[in-house]
Amino acid sequence: MKKELIELKVNGRTRELAIEPSKLLLDVLREDLQLTGSKRGCDDSSCGACTVLVDGTPMFSCTLLAASCQGQEITTVEGVSEHGSLAAIQKAYGDWGGAQCGYCTPGFMMTVKHLLSVNPHPSDEQIRGALSGNLCRCTGYSQMYEAIKAAIEAEEKGLAAL
Amino acid sequence: MLAGGTDLIPSMRQKLFEPQYVLDLRHIAELKGIHPQPGNGVEIGALTTLNAIEHSEFLRRHYPVLTEAAGTVASPVLRNMGTIGGNICLDTRCLWYNQSLSWRKACGFCIKKDGDLCHVAPGGTKCWAVFSGDTPPALLCLNAEVEIASPSGVRRIPLCEFYTGAGNDYRKLQPDELLTRVFLPEASADYRGVYRKLRIRGSIDYPLAGVAVVLKKSNRHVSDARLAITAVNPAPTLVKGAAQALEGEVVDEQVAEAIGELAAKTAKPLTTSALTPEYRREMIRVFTKRAILAAASD
Amino acid sequence: MGGRDARLTAGRMPVLQNRKMSDFSVIGKPVAMVDAAGKTTGAGKYTDDLSVPGMLIGKILHSPYPHARLKRVDTSRAKALDGVVAVVTGGDAPKTYGILPVGHDETALAVDKVRYVGDNVACVAAVDEATAEKALEWVNVQYEVLPAYFDPEESMKAETDLIHEGKPHNIEKDYHHVFGDPDKAFGEADYVAEGRFIANEVTHAAMEPHSVLASFELDPHTGKLGRLTVWSSTQVPYYLQHKLSLVLDMPMSQIRVIKPLVGGGFGGKSEVIPLEIIAAVAARSARAPVKITYTREEVFWAHRGRPRTIIDLKTGVQNDGRITAVKARVVQDGGAYCSYGVVTILYSGALLGALYDIPNIQFDGYRVLTNKPACGAMRGHGTVNVRFAFESQLDEISAKLGIDPAEIRRRNLLKPPCVTVNGLRVQSYGLPECIDKVVERSGWKQRKGKLGKARGLGIGCSHYVSGAANSIIRSDMPHSTVNIKIDRDGGVVVYTGASEIGQGSDTMTAQIAAEVLGCSLSRVKIVAADTDLTPIDIGSYSSRVTFMAGNATLRAAEEVRKQIASAAARRMNCAAEDLVLRDDSVFHKNYAGKSVRATPVETTVSGRVEGQILRGSLQQKRKEEGPRDLMTFEEAVVAAIDFHGALTGTGSYAPPPEARGGKHKGAGVGPSPAYSYSAQVAEVSVDEDTGEVTVHKVWASHDCGRALNPVAVEGQIIGSVWMGLGQALQEEMIWKDGMLMNPGLLEYRSPSSAESPEIEAIIVESIDPEGPFGAKECSEGSLAATIPAIANAIYDAVGVRLREAPFTPERVLAALRAKKQAKTINMTEGVDPTAPTRFREHGGSLWFRGKGPQRHPLDPARGETTAEVGGDD
Repeated sequence: MKKELIELKVNGRTRELAIEPSKLLLDVLREDLQLTGSKRGCDDSSCGACTVLVDGTPMFSCTLLAASCQGQEITTVEGVSEHGSLAAIQKAYGDWGGAQCGYCTPGFMMTVKHLLSVNPHPSDEQIRGALSGNLCRCTGYSQMYEAIKAAIEAEEKGLAAL
Repeated sequence: MLAGGTDLIPSMRQKLFEPQYVLDLRHIAELKGIHPQPGNGVEIGALTTLNAIEHSEFLRRHYPVLTEAAGTVASPVLRNMGTIGGNICLDTRCLWYNQSLSWRKACGFCIKKDGDLCHVAPGGTKCWAVFSGDTPPALLCLNAEVEIASPSGVRRIPLCEFYTGAGNDYRKLQPDELLTRVFLPEASADYRGVYRKLRIRGSIDYPLAGVAVVLKKSNRHVSDARLAITAVNPAPTLVKGAAQALEGEVVDEQVAEAIGELAAKTAKPLTTSALTPEYRREMIRVFTKRAILAAASD
Repeated sequence: MGGRDARLTAGRMPVLQNRKMSDFSVIGKPVAMVDAAGKTTGAGKYTDDLSVPGMLIGKILHSPYPHARLKRVDTSRAKALDGVVAVVTGGDAPKTYGILPVGHDETALAVDKVRYVGDNVACVAAVDEATAEKALEWVNVQYEVLPAYFDPEESMKAETDLIHEGKPHNIEKDYHHVFGDPDKAFGEADYVAEGRFIANEVTHAAMEPHSVLASFELDPHTGKLGRLTVWSSTQVPYYLQHKLSLVLDMPMSQIRVIKPLVGGGFGGKSEVIPLEIIAAVAARSARAPVKITYTREEVFWAHRGRPRTIIDLKTGVQNDGRITAVKARVVQDGGAYCSYGVVTILYSGALLGALYDIPNIQFDGYRVLTNKPACGAMRGHGTVNVRFAFESQLDEISAKLGIDPAEIRRRNLLKPPCVTVNGLRVQSYGLPECIDKVVERSGWKQRKGKLGKARGLGIGCSHYVSGAANSIIRSDMPHSTVNIKIDRDGGVVVYTGASEIGQGSDTMTAQIAAEVLGCSLSRVKIVAADTDLTPIDIGSYSSRVTFMAGNATLRAAEEVRKQIASAAARRMNCAAEDLVLRDDSVFHKNYAGKSVRATPVETTVSGRVEGQILRGSLQQKRKEEGPRDLMTFEEAVVAAIDFHGALTGTGSYAPPPEARGGKHKGAGVGPSPAYSYSAQVAEVSVDEDTGEVTVHKVWASHDCGRALNPVAVEGQIIGSVWMGLGQALQEEMIWKDGMLMNPGLLEYRSPSSAESPEIEAIIVESIDPEGPFGAKECSEGSLAATIPAIANAIYDAVGVRLREAPFTPERVLAALRAKKQAKTINMTEGVDPTAPTRFREHGGSLWFRGKGPQRHPLDPARGETTAEVGGDD
């Protein structure tokens, strides 16, 4: 298939790329931009390991054509760290055992980032619901809930200090 | 044509579709949004995401069966991507069909794609792939209409006439046609509504059986009701006779049970999906009964 | 070697064991995994994230037939395609291999036969994935279709068209063990329970699909292909190196296996998976690096999961609940290749022992070949399904005898230290405390039977090995070796072959090294699982790493510690034995001066000693005035290097002979230096109209010896319980005539957060006399208790006994209907879940009997794949 020139805005930077129009966003991120944080875990849009934010909304990058994302802000897990250090949720996932093998973790980072941006104080039920589109095989999810609560607390303390 | 892509793109990966071109509709703003038409129901753009429908205060107040059904589709992330139009047009599914090319090759293909045999009803010539959308039964209960646009113009048909009842050629949509809008009539507003979905996993799954019911009461008696089932037939199906059977009744266990039996008779589940057909049919009965009791409760 | 290790163990360990929790500064503390940041930022690299210049993509052609002879494989058209660099077939690497020395029955690509739908036939290496996929369609294969076997009990009757030569009746292996006098004991028993239980096939479904990248270098001396480097998502890099060497006919020293981050294993990556060999063969043929990453469907075909198991179980008891005899006939549907099968079937018998005190055991185990993907090792290897049957039957017995289910388990406890009737040595034994803890926390006594309609509590127990006492390739050599090197600024580098797969192997290693050396965790860097750099460790399987690699780390660190202490002692004018190494300081045990640095996990390392690190003690001497009683870790390290020269240490571990089991045939499997113990209570409710089971909470106690990192231990317990829950309620590989109906994560339903219950992990510490700091395994043992705990809770809730797992709503409802003798409808297609007798297949047509692909003249497949039908099918 003939390649086309597209512009993608990923993690705040605009990148010009020549890609096949049928290429999936996940493949463009991983192969053309070397942003290998987003993972492929399934082939049927079920696992969520490839989740990225498109204009702030979590979506499966394995189910989006890259060319269709032109003009939209894409945020990948590589864009979550703040000023070169771990964001509160990243630190908390480490401290509380939210990540074991880590393969699903980038997807969860994006989902949780979105959850906390629209709902800074989610109930247990809301956390559980929000995470239900991402599969994890190691943790049984429990320690993720602890991590999310710890991150909220850390964020608040951080804000209080300002 | 690609809206949310949640159905098409995995299918393309399995080579169920190998289109020359994909027309990306994601960014057509006119086809997005929920627009109440005072006195005339509501118009929903086909590209409105299921998430937007799930969280629409207007729809929750006036058409609760739809928001409830939309909230059970797949998983939260997929509801951010999937659209109401896509859910209506959802390809029918079958364990013998939704598989990779090499898998299908190994089993000798099937009527729906590349072959001439139906694995779930051997000997037959009909495709039984099952319609597995969650919102269409709710929309059928709401007497929804859909707008279909093509180069030759725009037509509007009741949703119940949109499906053919066959598993392969399951909807009446020509290649140059596009489902653009969904209309919910004013007359369907403010019914009590309930959607019940059978699934094994609490999220992600397609329905293995689904029941939508809407109901209106006056003085404890049902004045109007509609019932539709999904995921057990090649099309979402309004249960015939349910409205008549309910009309004028005070809903109790017995009444609900009878309607459940009626719904179970309408269901024709086959081994297209996980769990056994008999169990899924039985769940149509149980879920119908429960949905009716819930919708009728005070 | 083993003898020496045993002596070392006996002599030294108790000193460490007796230390109080507060005596430790690093272990026992909840610390973040040392590799956590790479995982949460996406910076960490898994195999598929890697690429090298000139890399090709490999794609594998799989068999469309469950059983067929290969008549001809013509790759010429595929090879001619632009962009295709190499096409390899069975003939390119015909040597057989297998993870077990007794099971060398696989080839990288099929040589004479294919044995399951999905078996590997050819591989294309091309410039990109699309080209490789296209080329696969141009590989022309002729098959002669053979009758296939899908049901193990049918397969065992086979006389002709056997799946492998030399395996009569398609039986891979059968074992018949008798310990004590079971017949007599059954004769004298007050009550004998009998029943058939079935646990259907499940798979690991690790989130990362297997991936491998293989690359050859040119040898400067011969000018030909030389060294091979393989990056792979493996749990066993050293076994991979060994099998590559065997199949490619290269010395092991010419092969380097590197394990990048691994996205979960659970046993699915604990042996050599076809793509690993295929990629190397393709890279050799293409003379270019080749990467192959499985699609999710291919992961299901590679499989190696937990076999469908049919258990006919008989238990004899006295009226007081004491178990007098157990007889188990176990049939495992092993799939088309041996894999770990011989070990799996042996575990299913051996681990009848070592949980309870059972004086008489009879075990008849059959590992059967069928034309389906090979089963192998999966979390709780071999024991899970039998434990489901056993704990369920024990529950039935307790109901029959009117003894509380928790109490009947207490009446059958072992009295360690002891050796079981089947030769398993048990030392630390936290089971009693595990039972007490879950009974207490769940409110068992107050709540059981009082939860209202259709809600109940159930209990189950389990255990597991902390590594196999005998390695796959029997030898007396160490199972783990660890090297430590200390740099002049006090940086500690630990070289271990142990494979981090998400379970916390690297973190455990760092914690043990830091604790022994008395330095902060941040000083320790782990170099792991690279066969060129790290000493041998046989891999991350059978929950062996903490116990074995942990002990090796401990020994290596102690060797270094001795050198530091002796040099520091000279400087401090005291005996080395009087020194304490802790919190980045070395001080005299009576030192009562300024407080020792109190923060155990310091995040910065100075990197300097007074700015003069490289000048060593000359500089220090000048500065010092008289003897001191406190040195910093850096100063002590410099003193040690100055005194001893290089500062390095090596430690290794081999299980002691006493722990290696009995002498009977098959005795090698089951023995372990230590066993973990688990008890669980599950609370469930059952919807009596739909059969849907909701698990509300699981209380899970686990005796892990000592929790080196409580957050990691809890994570492993919760993860195990949760995976058991999946197997109990919703996970199942569904078959139809050898076709896997659900080869994807959409249809193979591992639980989502929506239906995952709260799991309360309770750590029990029995302090094992031989474990590192008393630690034992914590990653697998809990899984097996969950399934029976849920089954027993369902019984408590609604009075039906589920004998076939998973307890899907249709099975539960069918059982409920059978009990009520209400309108029975055929909801499970003729298989009664209360008394399962035969293999259940998904409905649908008999495509294979209908001749499969070749029946459709218009099939695209027909263009390239012409098949002749042979056999009598």
